[in-house]
Amino acid sequence: MITIKRFTVQPVHLWIALLLLVLAVGTVAYGIVMVKGLSVTNLSDLVPWGLWITIDLSAIALSAGAFTLCAVVYLLGLKQYEPVARTATFIGLIGYSMALLTLLLDIGRPDRFWHAIVYWNTHSLLWEVSMCLTLYLCVLLLETAPLFGRAEWMQTRFPWISNKMMSIHHLAPFLALLGLGLSMLHQSSLGATYGVLIARPIWYKPGLSVLFMFSAMVGGPALMVLITKVSGRLSPRAKVDDTLLEKITLFIGWGLVGYIYFRFWDAFSMTYTYEPGRSEALSMMTSGPLAFNFLVGEMLLGAIIPAILLLVPRFRKSWIAQVVALTLVVGGVVAYRWDVNMSGLLVILTYLPQEITTIYTTYFPSMIEILSGLGVVAYGALAITLGVRYLNLIDHRGTEKEVVESPVIIAGTD
Amino acid sequence: MEEKTIQRRDFLKFLAFGSVVAGGLRLTRLTSASETGGSSPYRWGMVIDQAKCTGCGHCTLTCRAHNDVAPEISWNRVLDAGKIGDQQVYLPRPCMHCEEAPCVDACMVGASYHRADGIVMMDYDKCIGCRYCEVACPYGARAFNWESFTGPNPAVPEWGQPEVPRRPRGVVEKCSFCYQRIDRGLKLGLKPGVDEEATPACVVACPIGARNFGDLNDPESEVSILIKDNPYFQLREDLGTSPRVYYLPTREEVTT
Repeated sequence: MITIKRFTVQPVHLWIALLLLVLAVGTVAYGIVMVKGLSVTNLSDLVPWGLWITIDLSAIALSAGAFTLCAVVYLLGLKQYEPVARTATFIGLIGYSMALLTLLLDIGRPDRFWHAIVYWNTHSLLWEVSMCLTLYLCVLLLETAPLFGRAEWMQTRFPWISNKMMSIHHLAPFLALLGLGLSMLHQSSLGATYGVLIARPIWYKPGLSVLFMFSAMVGGPALMVLITKVSGRLSPRAKVDDTLLEKITLFIGWGLVGYIYFRFWDAFSMTYTYEPGRSEALSMMTSGPLAFNFLVGEMLLGAIIPAILLLVPRFRKSWIAQVVALTLVVGGVVAYRWDVNMSGLLVILTYLPQEITTIYTTYFPSMIEILSGLGVVAYGALAITLGVRYLNLIDHRGTEKEVVESPVIIAGTD
Repeated sequence: MEEKTIQRRDFLKFLAFGSVVAGGLRLTRLTSASETGGSSPYRWGMVIDQAKCTGCGHCTLTCRAHNDVAPEISWNRVLDAGKIGDQQVYLPRPCMHCEEAPCVDACMVGASYHRADGIVMMDYDKCIGCRYCEVACPYGARAFNWESFTGPNPAVPEWGQPEVPRRPRGVVEKCSFCYQRIDRGLKLGLKPGVDEEATPACVVACPIGARNFGDLNDPESEVSILIKDNPYFQLREDLGTSPRVYYLPTREEVTT
């Protein structure tokens, strides 16, 4: 008898197959958008930004774990978080590439994407954001280079390149610094992109930059811990040290409390006076079409419940409670981005003299928008799954040693 | 060794702080947006008399023909502005060509820019179609080309002949005060606002002369005289955009 080595189907194979399927469908939808243009969307001159901008903003916000943890490790000097920062950096790289893919989809002339880098209007918030995105993507590529270089298949097949890539690790503190600066700039500026527009009263306030920054600093680490915890449970390749994550979840919990505080006053202070456009947009969020999303999705599920789950020690000890809480935080960040974008766009101020009135419009993404968006998300999930499998992305063992053996000396300081 | 580490950290902190501050400064606008792009003796403006406007929509159609605008887009909309007494009032709305234009500040590639003569121009070769300007404009004056405009223009030839190239799919477009007519007219020694050939098509087409165009820098121009002698308003003056389109309001004494 000839014995055939049988390929056993594991759950992870089904998961990858599912992602590939969604990715394939998404790629077709993406292609349709590229060929047919944005007429296949439900976007209009009244609502020019919709689902894609939400995915884009969310992907960037949820990548914020990268700069936060790199700053913690290399600038605050809490070296024990180095392996966690490594995971966060990889998630950041994938998140930013997702954002760029979505942006490419969203602009009317994807063939001119490079204009954003070549032609400068330094007064534009979006110019600043695109500059930061480009530069920060470079930073992330350098920050993740050692991770790729350390992979076994890299070391055996391309030892020279592998060594070079690993040696970039020496630059980590500089990259962390650069990443911190660039991230603080563009995470806030994405809020300011909305916040500087006087034509949209619900947006026109400095608070948006603060809230975007704050929610990113909570949501980014939340996604990182979530992915780590789930991988640790599902994949034997992920070696998770729960005590290392404990402090981070505590930080996320307290971060949520701060976020609730800011968001509460942001919304509450707007209830005091009637301002055309702004008051209508606010009531849209408290009792109109965005009410469920704002009150339930963003505040209750997205912030209050996870804050409780992460701060009460009894829940923090439970794996399931933590995973639920972190998932809710991630959902809350997405809901916040959606609410910000929609509340400003669905209420339109007329410019007729004497009477400033508001009119309402609606938006629901088209099937093509949804499928192409899902395709981008599937790409991200697939990349992270493969990262966990083949890049030793989550490995919390023996961490002290590595960091110590590569001290960084700045020329000129000695 | 310990001492060195602290120095390094301080140095890094200083750098972090510095880079954030430097980045912030870059965005701060220290000069007025209207000062960009060389100098010009002219400052073009439009005065629209609401008391005269009958809402016929000739301006919209003429604009479509001369600027080769797709039927689903209007650079020049005529809005219903309610009633005064028994009279229906209209509000024709071209681009306001704001002195402090939100769209010019918003555009990341500088495809929306101020000409020296104040016209807010679009560089259709630069525009990447991000639509931030549409979100920023308080007047809804901008339209995105969701589809490519192919085939004949229904407004041609009845309402005029195209004078500018058609815009491709995927860019934002808007009223340009018919810069092509102004520029060609000036070269021929004509006076925009006086000579029809050098005046925006909508102003020429208006059958009752509700629109006036001219140089706001010239105190003798019709537009300057009109806004000197009449009460006027600009749309959403409260926003501080300083539109260069002025309206003479319908008044009871004019309608009766």
